[in-house]
Amino acid sequence: MSKKSVIGVFDDENRVVSAIKKLKENKVKINDVYGPFASHDILSLVTKPTRLPHLAFIFGAVAAILTFLFVYYTSVINYPLSYGGKPTFSFPPMVVIIYLITILGTATLTVFAFIGRTAMYPGKKAKMPGIGAMDDKFFVVIDQKNTVADVESLMRNSGAIEIRHEEF
Amino acid sequence: MEMKFQYKRSWRILFAALVVVGLIGIILGFVTNPDRTWANILLNNYVFLMLSIGALFFYAIQYVTNSGWSALFQRIPLAAGIWLPIGFIIVLVLYFGMPALYEWTDKEAVASDELLIYKSSYLNVTFFYIRAVFYFALWIGFAWWMRKLSLKEDIQGTLHIEKHITASGAFIFAIVFTFTMATIDWIMTIDAHWFSTLFGLKNLLATMYYAVAFMILLLLWLQKQGYFTIMNEAHRHDFVRYLFRFSIVWGYLWFVQFLIIWYANIPETTVYYKPRMSGEWSLMFYLDFALNFAIPFLALMNDKVARTKTVMVVLSMLLLLGMWISVYLQIMPGSIGKCNIGLIEIFTFIGFLGLYLYLVFILLSKTPLIPVNHPFLEESKHRHL
Repeated sequence: MSKKSVIGVFDDENRVVSAIKKLKENKVKINDVYGPFASHDILSLVTKPTRLPHLAFIFGAVAAILTFLFVYYTSVINYPLSYGGKPTFSFPPMVVIIYLITILGTATLTVFAFIGRTAMYPGKKAKMPGIGAMDDKFFVVIDQKNTVADVESLMRNSGAIEIRHEEF
Repeated sequence: MEMKFQYKRSWRILFAALVVVGLIGIILGFVTNPDRTWANILLNNYVFLMLSIGALFFYAIQYVTNSGWSALFQRIPLAAGIWLPIGFIIVLVLYFGMPALYEWTDKEAVASDELLIYKSSYLNVTFFYIRAVFYFALWIGFAWWMRKLSLKEDIQGTLHIEKHITASGAFIFAIVFTFTMATIDWIMTIDAHWFSTLFGLKNLLATMYYAVAFMILLLLWLQKQGYFTIMNEAHRHDFVRYLFRFSIVWGYLWFVQFLIIWYANIPETTVYYKPRMSGEWSLMFYLDFALNFAIPFLALMNDKVARTKTVMVVLSMLLLLGMWISVYLQIMPGSIGKCNIGLIEIFTFIGFLGLYLYLVFILLSKTPLIPVNHPFLEESKHRHL
């Protein structure tokens, strides 16, 4: 899915950071920033705090409840088997199954949620705004429809060496 | 860099007063009900031994894992290990209380009991005390060695880090073995016919759980007094993570021990759980599980909530209560057989607590509060989330 984008090219980390700060002051929504290395400054400016743990908690709770219902159905309603004189509904052995399925469900569903949210999947081609992103350039990608009139001049003023209009 | 801890006179007097209250409780107990008093002395001695061993365990773990974040606070666990010599004296004194506590010391009862005859080559008073001396010699020796290395470091610089790591590793190896055995000796043999191989390990891991709770309380209190101003959210987060982790471990081990016994349903092993789960002990049984597992596990799940000071303080206090209840449940049903929490229990605990705090603060005030030459000190100071 390519959209019309404005891409600002920078060759200095500090200038990118100041550019991003200025863009944020003007309420421009930044799609993504590409660069040769991970930078704490850029990450903390661009990324939002993750909500994945909350989702994981919900997955875990749902998995626990569903597993309990399943074990209850199998061992009490559908196939009540007297085993060692224990009552058919006895909670302690159910705990083991609930515990394991909760971990399994939480882990796998969280991974799938993460993959879905970030649109990453095995075999996906990496998006590259330009060759320099692997080398010495930073690329700030902004959706065309999100831009305000002076986005270009904002980026130029804070040190962009080039502004591109591309499908990205 | 920071000042020494000033041990205020008012605090000394307060703790001394607590000790006096404890002594009154113990004397009162010996007059009215000596058996119950012996059980209480054993209980409180074991509780504070747990805190000491756990604190030193924590201290050693930090060295073995090369942990940087905790370098600022390493004097706290070192001071909290002070109960070891006191515990040794009390274990020696407990010789006079053994008939009240341990069924296997009664020669007549052993003579008519097949199982106890079988166990008597291990469970006899002489060997019991040989083992106790061995345990304490090992623990006190290691504690003394690690403290000496830490004090040397203050003067001579970071020359001794390798030695410190070796000492810590050896200490961990030693306590995993000896504290498990000690727990079996002192606590599990109260129910002489019953056994669980998990029992010692569960209590060993619980030591660090409760020691961290105690250290959190001590640290936050010290911070309120104006020490450790450098401690921030990140350090609190690291401490509270220990609680969260150990709540899971504790719940896991508790459940594993319970499930196996419940499932097998063999009279020799269910005899331990049957009286505890029904009748007068049942409230404490479920309280034990709630305080040590359910409440910390749920409350600490969200890390932003977990590292607020209020939550930390309240949870740590609940955990120390949980520790007391947990050990109470291990000792009392087998020894005095009646759930009876009265003045003796409360006064004895207060007395032991007073003595422990009195000694911990003496040890804290003797050295700089922060190990000045610890190699990871800078990392610890600049720790942030």
